[in-house]
Amino acid sequence: MTGAALLSLGPLALTGVAGIAAMAMAPVAPLRAIRGTTATLMAAALALVALRAGAAPAPAYALLADDALARLGAALALLAGLGILAFVRDEDGAREGPALVALATSGGVALAGATNGAALILGLEITTLAMVALTLMPRSAPAAEAGYKLFLMGGVSAATLLLGAAFAFAGSGSLALADWGGSGGLAAVGGALLLAGLAFKFSLAPFHMWVPDLFSGAPASASALAGALSKVATGVALLRLAEVAPGGAVWALGLGAAGAAAALLGNIVAIRQESLARMLGYSTIAHSGYLAMILAAGGPLAGEATLVYLAAYAPAVVAALCVASALGGVSRTELRGLVRRQPLAGFALGLALLSMVGLPPAVGFIGKVYLFSALAAAEAWALLAAAAVGAAVAFYYYLRFGIAALAAPEGEETAPAPALSVGARLTLAVAVALIVLPGLYPEPLLALAGAAAP
Amino acid sequence: MALIAQLLLPFFGGFAALLAARTGRDRERWVAIAAMAATLAALAAGVALGDDGRWLAFYRADWAPSFGIQVLLAMDGLTAAMLAISSGLGIISVFISWHVTHRSALFHAAICWTVAAANGVFLSFDLLIFAFFWELMIVPAFLLIALWGHGDREAAAIKFLVFNAVAGLGLLAAVFWMGATSDPVTFDAFALAETEYSETAQILLLLGFALAFMVKLPVPPFHAWLPDAHTQAPTAGSILLAGLLLKTGAYGLFRFPPMLFPDALMALAGWGMALGAFGVVYGGILACGQTDAKRLVAYTSVAHMSIVLMGVCGGVHFALIGAGVEMIAHAFSSSALFLLIGALQHRTGTRDLRELGGLQKTAPAFATSFALFFAAALAMPGTANFLGEALVITGMFQVNWVFAAIALVSLVVSVVYATRLIGGIAFGAPKPAVENAPDLHRYELWPIAILGLCALVFGLFPQLLIGWLWTAVEAALQPLIVVQP
Repeated sequence: MTGAALLSLGPLALTGVAGIAAMAMAPVAPLRAIRGTTATLMAAALALVALRAGAAPAPAYALLADDALARLGAALALLAGLGILAFVRDEDGAREGPALVALATSGGVALAGATNGAALILGLEITTLAMVALTLMPRSAPAAEAGYKLFLMGGVSAATLLLGAAFAFAGSGSLALADWGGSGGLAAVGGALLLAGLAFKFSLAPFHMWVPDLFSGAPASASALAGALSKVATGVALLRLAEVAPGGAVWALGLGAAGAAAALLGNIVAIRQESLARMLGYSTIAHSGYLAMILAAGGPLAGEATLVYLAAYAPAVVAALCVASALGGVSRTELRGLVRRQPLAGFALGLALLSMVGLPPAVGFIGKVYLFSALAAAEAWALLAAAAVGAAVAFYYYLRFGIAALAAPEGEETAPAPALSVGARLTLAVAVALIVLPGLYPEPLLALAGAAAP
Repeated sequence: MALIAQLLLPFFGGFAALLAARTGRDRERWVAIAAMAATLAALAAGVALGDDGRWLAFYRADWAPSFGIQVLLAMDGLTAAMLAISSGLGIISVFISWHVTHRSALFHAAICWTVAAANGVFLSFDLLIFAFFWELMIVPAFLLIALWGHGDREAAAIKFLVFNAVAGLGLLAAVFWMGATSDPVTFDAFALAETEYSETAQILLLLGFALAFMVKLPVPPFHAWLPDAHTQAPTAGSILLAGLLLKTGAYGLFRFPPMLFPDALMALAGWGMALGAFGVVYGGILACGQTDAKRLVAYTSVAHMSIVLMGVCGGVHFALIGAGVEMIAHAFSSSALFLLIGALQHRTGTRDLRELGGLQKTAPAFATSFALFFAAALAMPGTANFLGEALVITGMFQVNWVFAAIALVSLVVSVVYATRLIGGIAFGAPKPAVENAPDLHRYELWPIAILGLCALVFGLFPQLLIGWLWTAVEAALQPLIVVQP
């Protein structure tokens, strides 16, 4: 193995080492020390990715690519992982949280570079299993329900994915994703099965049922793994697959339909939610739907649009869940006066919701620009209409929560100020910067996405 | 430079106000005033040093070259007038909000940001940046209503936001489509104006733009957000809504459809004029039935802004000049009325016309100001509003006398609501609520005096305003004349 190869695999290796180190420290060290070690190693991985941003793409290895797309995906996954690390808690004395987040992140980094069916499935399963374990850590009834659903449906989806990969392999004679684009019966069946499996991971309708339960029952860190980390990594993997569109027309049609259904259903059901976590759960379904529609429509802007949208959505969802984690399971009315009790949390939540709804100056507006432009450029009018309806509905429920966080409390202030750890403050500050700065000056983000788009 | 300053000064002024509030009492107010006064000064400098050609000032720079987005700012007389109104009303809003002490720092920041975003709308000719500011403007205005409003403020604020943001999607979809189908990708309005779109495409794009503009104006049936937003908004919010946000709708309608989609505009002009005529009558009649003074003025806004829609769709000289004059005149009269009603509510605790009356005896300057601005609102000759409406109606006679007749008849309705309001507030024996109302404070008197002066001077010397708007009117008219049979 050459030095170049080591550098290529460095981020993945460092993240994996972070997970193993955290696992080893869990029985003996305090949570602070574990979290610090894990964060340092993951930050080193992120620095390595950033340093190699301009480097020429490394030659393709059997399983993983090291190109601009993989690097951008890895950077986003690592950023999300670092953010999530800040609000992992020791549930019932168990301190495996950081280890699980690091493992999930390594799965995400692997997914971002996956050019092969085996790497794809490994990456997805590592992420999902870490998510299941993190969900089950509080040992409460809602967490158990969420974890059970996730595990059961995750198992079915893993089986579906494996079967899909098997069909695609049978059809093409190769496990490389780039070869899965063939037509014919085997490829079509393989494409459909792959799509069904990925739709589960990506929380697209009708495979979304686990998401709201996860968001309301699991620790916020597990929700953030699903909403930010897994979404970014799976999004990049979908982008690679969309290039070849396994199964041809089946792929585009299925992805478009699942995306439109998710965008409509997620947004419409979210209207009725009064719990912040559940609302975020339905909203993440909707955002997956938008992404799936971009990928299904294809067209000249699809790659850039997917990446810009992912980069716009991830910091918002991490910030919102970080606040939700500090507050515990809050309803909309309990949010009132948050900005008074804890200004940073209140403003960060308000800004995150502004970004999710796609209003300037948040980067979500740039994401929406690309969403609509990509669909218009691909002349996918039905999908554009679905996205517009979803976006129109969304204004109502996000802003209801946003204004509750910013408004003055009604009557006596009873709720105590939520405690924010240093890590959580740092996460919120970085997330706010990643929401506002590219919203006001998007060129660096657009250039990165443009270079990384396949 | 003067153009960039129009955006950056109020934008950073808002942040400065946020920070300044920590250093001492009332600092945020003076910082906000200073920021917007500096904006006005920069505007004056820009106009004084302006070029003679189509544009007084022009600025172009790359913003996000990866996606063909530019900062493309241009100012002609119309823009300059709107910018002056924007910063001027911002300053007035600060002065008449001296009683706002609850979260005052954020309040003044929101005023500055509203002004900054509105300035962006008035200046931008890169359609994506235009859409950016268009959406941005909603956010601070939403905060103003939701956090400092009266009564059921949050519901009103969300209604305001949902109506405007959803309508904004029409604009966004149209802009993104135009950008995404251009090759290389550009959102430059001047370049896109040269693009030939098919007839259907033009009509669809125009409808997308018009949806956003007509909700902001607002024209029935898109006006449902306005009475609630105005009623619940704080006085400063009402002033900015009526004087500034509504005008962005009028400005957008005036500027972009004639420039980008002249064929479609002329094809749909009859519908637009019909909708405008309906709005004039409908707004007037509903205004007559209100007992809440703010709601009454809100409905008169519907009527007056519908006249702007008629004027733009008329597509002839008189009508377009009238539309331009009307939107400027209405900015003076409606913001002054909301200022006065807000001051009255602050003194008496009510806006209900049945509980008010006799202000003439207890606060004569107050009552006289009301009378002056209601004379303006019902388009009494001598006010700028008269000039605007008379020009639009004259233009209508050239195009279609039916609409002109409807607009003329509606002027009668405006006499009904004006007398109702002025009678309900000023005349009769002083009601208990009014008895101890003090007269106008000097912080209220001088804004009223300035607004009144503007309404009268431009009404008595129309050429001042018309000359100023001439280049913008010519530019809007040129493509329409080519299209007209």
